[in-house]
Amino acid sequence: MANTSSLAYQAASITDRVSRRATGRLRRITYQAGDSFLHRLHPLVKLAWLAGGTAALFMIQQPVGVLIVLALAGIAFPLNNLKLHRIRGLRLFAVTALLLFLTQVLLTNTETPLLQFGPLHVTAGGITRGIYTAGRLLSVILLSYLFVLTTEPNDLGYALMRAGLPYRYGFMLITALRLVPLFEQEAQTVYQAQLARGIAYDRGGLKRFFTLARQFFLPLLVSAMGKVDALAVSMEGRCFGKYPRRTFLREVAFTRQDGMALGVLVVGMVILIVLRFWIVI
Amino acid sequence: MITIRNFSYRFSGSERYALRDINLDIAPGEFVVLTGPSGCGKSTLALALGGFLFNQYDGEATGEVIIGGMDVRHTPIYDVAEVVGLVQQNPEAQFCTLTVQDEIAFGLENRCLPRAEILERMEWALNIVDAQHLKGRELATLSGGEKQRVAVAAMLATRPQVLVFDEPTSNLDPTATAQIFDVIARIRETEAITVIVIEHKVEYLRRFNPRWLRMEGGQLSAVSRQPSAVSRQPLVQNPKSKIQNPKSAAPLVKTERLHAGYNGHHVLRDVSVEIGPGEFVAVMGDNGSGKTTFLQCLLGLLKPAEGRVEVAGQDTRKAPVSKVAQRAAYVFQNPDHQLFAETVWQEATLAPRNFGAWNSETEALATALLDEAGLGNRHADHPYRLSYGEKRRLNLAAVLTYAPDLFLLDEILIGQDPDNAARLLEWLQARVTAGSAVVLINHAPEIAQRYATRLLFFEAGRLAVDAPIAEGFAQLARMGREVYLPSDLTGFGKPVRSGTRSTTNG
Repeated sequence: MANTSSLAYQAASITDRVSRRATGRLRRITYQAGDSFLHRLHPLVKLAWLAGGTAALFMIQQPVGVLIVLALAGIAFPLNNLKLHRIRGLRLFAVTALLLFLTQVLLTNTETPLLQFGPLHVTAGGITRGIYTAGRLLSVILLSYLFVLTTEPNDLGYALMRAGLPYRYGFMLITALRLVPLFEQEAQTVYQAQLARGIAYDRGGLKRFFTLARQFFLPLLVSAMGKVDALAVSMEGRCFGKYPRRTFLREVAFTRQDGMALGVLVVGMVILIVLRFWIVI
Repeated sequence: MITIRNFSYRFSGSERYALRDINLDIAPGEFVVLTGPSGCGKSTLALALGGFLFNQYDGEATGEVIIGGMDVRHTPIYDVAEVVGLVQQNPEAQFCTLTVQDEIAFGLENRCLPRAEILERMEWALNIVDAQHLKGRELATLSGGEKQRVAVAAMLATRPQVLVFDEPTSNLDPTATAQIFDVIARIRETEAITVIVIEHKVEYLRRFNPRWLRMEGGQLSAVSRQPSAVSRQPLVQNPKSKIQNPKSAAPLVKTERLHAGYNGHHVLRDVSVEIGPGEFVAVMGDNGSGKTTFLQCLLGLLKPAEGRVEVAGQDTRKAPVSKVAQRAAYVFQNPDHQLFAETVWQEATLAPRNFGAWNSETEALATALLDEAGLGNRHADHPYRLSYGEKRRLNLAAVLTYAPDLFLLDEILIGQDPDNAARLLEWLQARVTAGSAVVLINHAPEIAQRYATRLLFFEAGRLAVDAPIAEGFAQLARMGREVYLPSDLTGFGKPVRSGTRSTTNG
């Protein structure tokens, strides 16, 4: 008895620590306030750059091109006062990219090997493909980080609405932004309330799993429904949805820098398309 | 302004009428206070006035609700919204945006007002709620009281003729509560708005000389100019526990130079406290002063960043929460966050089963507790079918069944009417007399005065007062914290008066 229960306590406290760490990590991949070039850029221009950059990565057929994009994305971090080493989730992606690289190198086996370890071959083609795949993955991730870290999601929502997105959809995004941290906090409270009442996350079994899931999600669901009711009263009570269009207090300025950034993107994309389809790179 | 005739309402799927035969006339510019036990239909009436009952909810209505000549039952919600504004209980839940400016502009943008007029109305509304300095802020960074002021400003900016406040201060500390009532006073001074306030805290409202209404079981039961018709029974002499500060007994709680917080930021600083059996400790302080953090440390939900916490002889840094939890019960603020089982009976007996303390004795105790909670015939019901007050009683019954030594209670009286609150407090008092200890975070000074033996008052994470209850209030009075004093110590009437302050034990 004493042994099994002490095991249960350990399991519960480990779950506690893991859940804390997980929520901590989630928080780190969010907007970082700042006043850099990228921070000041119009959210939609940044979105266009993200889309353009991703498209470019899939058009470029040479690993050197991929490496150039990767290097540019990497340099953009210090240039915009973003500290690469402080983004924790990045390590996971770096390891994934490295594994991807190694698999490509070791499993590509089409020509005379440069090196050979038993059944494993290292070929020039393998290295090329490795750089190509891993570089593409890392580049897309870095570009996304650049966007997410410098763009306030709320500003993005309003910018999209100003650019013509129907406001009902825009406010879906804004409502989600508002509610997610609330629900996160509530999930933490429910979890703590369960610990306080001795609900331990220790014993296995499918039935037990479903009981635990119900005990966790039902309180969350009930409280979420209450929140949604209150929100609906608040929105309709202030005439949300009265007219097909609405006005906005916010003026999202389109600056000269935005114009230049967009111009550079358009020219770059045109050059890439020409190179890709007429002069194959 | 408002005419309600023979109005009854029943939510679909419910046999009980939430509102029954309501007849009410309210003149333009009148100030009306509506009180009554939780679940009596006050909030439903507020939803009816705002027209929400007939737009968002399914149900069966009879009778008439006329506001400003408009038949609310058959008017689109947007037209009702031009006349009636509803400020809800929880500021967090009613925000539609993320920043102060967007929030106040929200209702005006939806009405397609031009930018210049939005700006003008925003200035005006922010001035009335005294929140000009919050203009550039994000809502998430505001305190509870600041949030509620912004919520009021957002409603005011839409220029309603009737403003309904549904328990606007139930989530707020006394300082912020006083501010909200000052805001309501300012609205009365500057605007000819009809105001309806649903509120338990009647002491704050006397200065408005309002018309008092009381609801019970869906009916308006007393309509009077006399506040005494709705105020509580006068408090009887303090029936405090016999065992006061038994120096000989080992302490249940011992914190030594405790520092704690979140993400490396210390919320709690240098707190050293010992709490022994037979103590009923009231914990007070502004929101954000560290009260909840302190309580979380006592169950080990939060580990000390510096210093030590010992609960029933266990170091919370070493003992897992589930072990400390066998000696210390924790009840959270929101009843919905802590109902896990499928029936009332399973819910009440969940913890003793989990802790391996289930036997015929606890079974008998659980049965007795549920009877006492008025849930004796509800054993097979789902906990979520209970009313708010019943859920709260079940929460407490569910931790009383395994007889822990220490009760950690985080604002469990929020939204509870005085009768229900008294019932919960008497249960706790009986446990204290039997040698348990209670640590209760609560904002009502009268409750602390009547039930607690000791006061802990937090100020910016530090323990500013730790004294027997009467001495504690005297210290608060010296610190100029009048809003935290029971009304018989401030000389009645909540609007804070400086100069004449009594420091004696009333």
